[in-house]
Amino acid sequence: MKFGNLIIAGIVTGSIYAMFAVCVSVWYRVSNILNLAVGDFAMVGALGVDNLHRVKGLPLPVAIITTLVVVGVFAYAYDQVVLRLAQDGKRPIEGIVITFFFTFALSFFIDGVAKMLFGTDVHAAPALWGGASLTLGSLNFARAGLLVLACAIIIGGAFWLYIRFTLGGKALEASGENSVGARIVGIDTKQYRRLIFIATAVIAAVFGIVESPITGYTYLSGATISLTGFIAAAYGGFRKPGRALLAGLFIGVLEALLGGYVSAQYGNTVMYAILAALILAWPRGLGFESAVSQ
Amino acid sequence: MSAATENPAGSTTRSTALAVTGLSVAYGNVVAVHDATFTVTEGDACAITGPNGNGKSSILMGVTGMVRRRGEVTIFGAAAKNGDVRWAARHGLTLVPERRQLYPDLTAADNIILGCYTWTRSIGKARRSDPYRKAVDLFPELKPHLKQAAGTLSGGQQQMVAIARGLAADPKILAVDEPCLGLAEAVAKRVYDVLAQIHAAGTTLIVVEEAPRRALTLCNKRVEVRNGMAVNSQGDAASPDPDGPFPPGSPA
Repeated sequence: MKFGNLIIAGIVTGSIYAMFAVCVSVWYRVSNILNLAVGDFAMVGALGVDNLHRVKGLPLPVAIITTLVVVGVFAYAYDQVVLRLAQDGKRPIEGIVITFFFTFALSFFIDGVAKMLFGTDVHAAPALWGGASLTLGSLNFARAGLLVLACAIIIGGAFWLYIRFTLGGKALEASGENSVGARIVGIDTKQYRRLIFIATAVIAAVFGIVESPITGYTYLSGATISLTGFIAAAYGGFRKPGRALLAGLFIGVLEALLGGYVSAQYGNTVMYAILAALILAWPRGLGFESAVSQ
Repeated sequence: MSAATENPAGSTTRSTALAVTGLSVAYGNVVAVHDATFTVTEGDACAITGPNGNGKSSILMGVTGMVRRRGEVTIFGAAAKNGDVRWAARHGLTLVPERRQLYPDLTAADNIILGCYTWTRSIGKARRSDPYRKAVDLFPELKPHLKQAAGTLSGGQQQMVAIARGLAADPKILAVDEPCLGLAEAVAKRVYDVLAQIHAAGTTLIVVEEAPRRALTLCNKRVEVRNGMAVNSQGDAASPDPDGPFPPGSPA
């Protein structure tokens, strides 16, 4: 049952990629900016909880809530100060390019602060649902993995319901599609940009907390997570959270299978080669063209 | 049409829907509108005409709050807040903008229902509301396309979606900017028929139009704009002289 277990592992990692891809593409839809710092919020979530709980000795629930609040407040402040300066100025088109680099800078800034606060060792938030793997026949389900999957389904589902079935969700989409048109019907596009930036930061932190017991994080882990989320989001043309989600799952499963059957060492290399080939062979179907032309 | 072309200027009981005094709009150092003054009476159909690039659209942008302005704007007697589109919409003034400004990836129905965002946050309330249903019913030709992405519709259909979105906001004054830009003659005629219907149903209309002949089939009042100045105001009860306060074409 090696195949089955690899698929399970792949779906768990894939659901992480999928969630980050969704975070990237939802915010891109609202703001037309790619957030390069999304993975760093996950790292802060994981290492922050670990630090507060293990080092500072706070009870686990307090540590988790404190970390999430800090991430949320920081995201709010970042939006109020940096994004506002960059985007709401007199030349907003230029501003979008600048903001892209500001999120890049944000990523480095968070890494630097994290290095000072948490050191350079591998740490992880404590497992929220400890114990041995659950088994079903010869299939193994790691409890942390199930927790990740549950979070992905709940948060992803909530996002989907919000966008699909509420006027606020449609307003959110509208503000990304046409900010002039959105303002005409009274939509405060800045408010949605802020709301989603904070929401995706906190969601990323939550995923960092539940996922870190599986892989362990260092202060540099954020970049890798962002990158994979980006690639998955790219397959959805950056604007289609649904496709990004599927792409994330696909990449996770592909990675696990390549790691298991081809080579643990060169699995990633082969995977990125396959992904690049897919984009070249089928750009329209993957929504890549629309991302470029827009 | 008969109700639409009746001149309400003779009636003294109608209130002032929109009063604009000394309106100026500038983009950086470029002054687009300079000191425009005009009023629109409730029930009027007012055409704002003039050559391209003379600030017609900017007047509407300034009045609705899409851009910052100088000068006074009152909507049904209440002084409008500068730069607050929502306030204007809630007080009855809604804009159907030039080039429609739809959301291309959203369905036509979603585009229209977002017009309701000016007065509600509940999608259920919006769907069941009179303005939304009336807006959709006004365009039977859109019915088969409501689930289609707005960006894939034809130009005429998109213009209808944009007008329907404006109506979903439940306006008392509907300001329509260049409704026939790039449309075939037959489609343009259909758009004007719909505007006449909307006007006949009691909505005050403001139509920005480069081609005054087309606009004046519907409108009983005209504001002419040249070089960013509203120079001519025909059929206005306040200025019975058909040439208005300025001789035509005098400011340069």
